[in-house]
Amino acid sequence: MQTTLVDLLTSAGLPDPLAHVIRALVPCVLIIHLVAVGALVFIWLERKVSGRIQDRLGPTRVGGRFGWLQTLADGIKLIAKEDITPGEADAMLFRIAPYVSFAASFAAWLAMPFAVGWSGLDMNVAVFFVLAVLGLEVFGVILAGYASGSKWSLFGAMREAAQVVSYEVPLGLCVVIPVFICGTMNLTTIGEMQRGFATNWLIFHDPFTFCVFWVYITCGVASVNRAPFDLAEAESELVAGFHTEYSGLRWSFFFMAEYGSMLLVSALAVILFLGAWHGPIPIFSIGLGWTDAGGILGYLASLAGCANLILKSSLGVIVMIWVRWTLPRLRIDQVMTTCLKYCVPLASFCFLGALAWQAWIPNVTPASLPAPFGIDRAAIRESWVTRAGGPHATVSDAQLTPQTASPVPTTLATQSVPDRNIPVAGSTAPIGREETP
Amino acid sequence: MMQAIPILLFFACAFATAVGMLVAGTLLGPKRSGAVKQMPYESGMDPAHSAWRRFDVRFHLVAITFLLFDVEVLFLYPWAVARKDKEHGLLAVVDQAQSSLIFIEVMVFVALLAVGFIYAWRKGVFHWR
Repeated sequence: MQTTLVDLLTSAGLPDPLAHVIRALVPCVLIIHLVAVGALVFIWLERKVSGRIQDRLGPTRVGGRFGWLQTLADGIKLIAKEDITPGEADAMLFRIAPYVSFAASFAAWLAMPFAVGWSGLDMNVAVFFVLAVLGLEVFGVILAGYASGSKWSLFGAMREAAQVVSYEVPLGLCVVIPVFICGTMNLTTIGEMQRGFATNWLIFHDPFTFCVFWVYITCGVASVNRAPFDLAEAESELVAGFHTEYSGLRWSFFFMAEYGSMLLVSALAVILFLGAWHGPIPIFSIGLGWTDAGGILGYLASLAGCANLILKSSLGVIVMIWVRWTLPRLRIDQVMTTCLKYCVPLASFCFLGALAWQAWIPNVTPASLPAPFGIDRAAIRESWVTRAGGPHATVSDAQLTPQTASPVPTTLATQSVPDRNIPVAGSTAPIGREETP
Repeated sequence: MMQAIPILLFFACAFATAVGMLVAGTLLGPKRSGAVKQMPYESGMDPAHSAWRRFDVRFHLVAITFLLFDVEVLFLYPWAVARKDKEHGLLAVVDQAQSSLIFIEVMVFVALLAVGFIYAWRKGVFHWR
């Protein structure tokens, strides 16, 4: 059994609750930095990319080359700005709204795994948690629009509410497909099931998951209010939409929330469809065998996986930026039509198609090809399900069923996957009891 | 209880970060208020009337459709992780008849959903005039 951070702290004489609090604070602080630094980088990148797309240079001066400190300079400027609350506004709601947006966009990261065992909280219902908490962000926007006491803000907020609420339906339908293919809502398990070559990624599982990935991207862009779906802040019609009356740092929280959600939506796409922390060529898991090695090698493999996930998510954000500066903004009726008349039927069709595929021809998929490497989805899932009894429960061969035990390599079957390598990993029991054996 | 600590801490940290930065902003920023400055922005005109008025009924329809369909989609999640027995998930279906049964069951569910969807479509709920 690996020592976890909680074990380490309790053995050092700290009381158990305090150890758990410290264990929870570590990923919390790390993820705050990821979201904040991510927002800084992506805002700079958006300016650079939009500049290049429009044949401009974008920021060039601050920080020496490429204007890479431009966003930080702007942040400092925003701190020095006055924080105005309009007289007409409902002052308390007006002040609370940015917190709600920011907290929602940030707290959804809690359930996101960055590698096996590298998550704030290993949840059995992680997919559900992420979708639910991400949905909270719209409350901040509606509050902001309603509390501002300005017509522009109210119109922007109502549009946003209608749009986000509508796109939740196809988004949920898209996400349920990887969930039922893997038979679990645990994001770590879903990610681990795509281990191996890129053919094991769920996007290549069957033609329907390939289609639904693009529907997911469309709905994801819409649900975080990015252009071409950014009606809530349509500058040409609504001045600035729901944040017309906001100023200074309070205003910038909406942007941090927006960029945090963008990264979150693309990270979710990466975990659900694009192989999570596994690269297209399994250098670490199969080539070098570090992933199952434990110790410092396993830690390095997890670190590389984490970098892989963040890199792929950043590519997703870059695609969103690219789309924003390429496509014109839609009208509200076009947005609603896209959602209700195209995305929902398309997602439903893909859902049924993927289900039929799974029910009748699951074994002709490319996903079954790398099985000789000892990676069988059913086996991995079974090992995780039997693990659900506790974080330190190791899975023995005896616990696996005869059908699934044969292709499992002993390293995978005899070892509790999430507690493998780092102290931070897996010291909290998974919550939610959907898979209790 | 121990498992809820990270969730609560996450929300607390997010709030604390936001509050901390805003306090810094309040301390550093200027505070010069005035009647005109506090007026809601309406493209330079004096505001005609309060912004809190009645909404278009279309938003109400969207909300109702959302409630219907999103709750139905929520039902699919427990279905997706439900397993007929301990050993065989949907993934490791060994029994052809069983997998066909799972498929037909959810087909019925989606068909019922589709009836409601088509009804709403025919009624023009999705037509944003």
